[in-house]
Amino acid sequence: MLASFDSHLFWSALSSGPYWRGALTALELTIVALVTAIVVGFFVALGSLSSRRGTRTVAWTYNWLFRATPTLLQLYFVWYALPTWWHVFAQSWFTPFIAAWVTLSLNEAAYMSEIIRAGLLSVDPGQELAGRALGLSRRQILRKVVVPQAVRIIIPPVGNEFITLLKLTSLASIISLHELLTAATELTSSKFVYNEPLLAALVYYLVIVSILMVLQARLERRFTWTSRRRRVAAPAVPAIPHDVR
Amino acid sequence: MSVLRAHGVHKQYDGLEVLRDVTFQVDPGQVKVIVGPSGSGKSTLLRCLALLEEPDAGTVSLEDRRPLPGEVGMVFQRFNLFQNMTALGNVMCGLREVRRLPKTEARDQAMAFLTRVGVADKASQYPEELSGGQQQRVAIARALVMRPKAMLFDEPTSALDVELVREVLDVMESLAHEGMTMVVVTHELRFAHHVASSVLMMDGGQIVEEAPPEEFFSAPKEERTRRFLALVE
Repeated sequence: MLASFDSHLFWSALSSGPYWRGALTALELTIVALVTAIVVGFFVALGSLSSRRGTRTVAWTYNWLFRATPTLLQLYFVWYALPTWWHVFAQSWFTPFIAAWVTLSLNEAAYMSEIIRAGLLSVDPGQELAGRALGLSRRQILRKVVVPQAVRIIIPPVGNEFITLLKLTSLASIISLHELLTAATELTSSKFVYNEPLLAALVYYLVIVSILMVLQARLERRFTWTSRRRRVAAPAVPAIPHDVR
Repeated sequence: MSVLRAHGVHKQYDGLEVLRDVTFQVDPGQVKVIVGPSGSGKSTLLRCLALLEEPDAGTVSLEDRRPLPGEVGMVFQRFNLFQNMTALGNVMCGLREVRRLPKTEARDQAMAFLTRVGVADKASQYPEELSGGQQQRVAIARALVMRPKAMLFDEPTSALDVELVREVLDVMESLAHEGMTMVVVTHELRFAHHVASSVLMMDGGQIVEEAPPEEFFSAPKEERTRRFLALVE
């Protein structure tokens, strides 16, 4: 039992403007960063599968750099150091949101490229062979045959990445981005209570992730190729150790 | 006049010679069956003919020029149907993407070829839902719809359950009767006996012997062929 619980405070926090806007900011940041990371990660994955040694080295270095360093450190670099290197980043357009977007995208792209690489490699090489025998170009084979089949494989790990990113957005509170956790901590420090403001934030995260899980299950069915879309119960999300990036 | 020709073809992988100076041709309407132990270079020869592999030396030609996409059809041991497309989608794919046909025209032609190989009722099914024999017949339709000048079959029945072999061989036999030029790598010696214009024995990356089927099976000239036939029959 909670020692004291002010349900009125809890509900007013839950429905307050700062929480709602903070959650929206967190969600927006997650989505734009994820989409950018998928695009960048796709090309990094192609690079790491390239037959050219130089291209593979560039891809490898990218992954090494962004996976071996803490996300928070990268965020500090982008927000504080970058404007001292190039003056354009010292201007007003370079908001905390944009800085967080750039950082999380570049960071996530490194992880995403490995997921996409695994997805591409999981497609039977016979599929490509058949495409070439028909006279399809490499690009057509990739677009029509290999990528759709790889998508099926990468949906569950990409779902994991979405969740990780959503939680990483709270790092951006440090560069004064008004996201969800900022709303909660501001409330705790103004009211000197913890239970209600933190629980309200927790509810927001739970709701966002729950919606994602429903969407993911739908997407997986969409990429299952049987004439009656298979109705298997969505497999439980495997327990993964807490992701400390 | 030959349709499909390989002249002095060499191919090696990592220093291993898989094809050693193979010269070989198929005349229009001929069916050539290639037999031989695994590792003898049969599949590699087919892949060179289909331009899936570039020979290290020598040339492959179709009517004395380089084949265009889809002009040499290939059927694989493991079918290799596109898993993300229905049977119909598989057969339409080449028409849409390579031939750039409009959708309705591609669909009509694809349906005609699915009917031709007896799987029209499976048009909207995905490969995963079809038996091996049905998948292989869809794969044959996918190659045929491109109107190839020659068809290559790489052990088309080796991955099939015994009772499904017949339906695929029947389709191949009727193709042969219609005058399709074919090169078939297979262990189905009865098919070779019935349908082949000539049978080739490959070993160690070379063609050891070529003869009409009656002669090849009853009176092989080469010791290597005799040993092989004694083992498989």
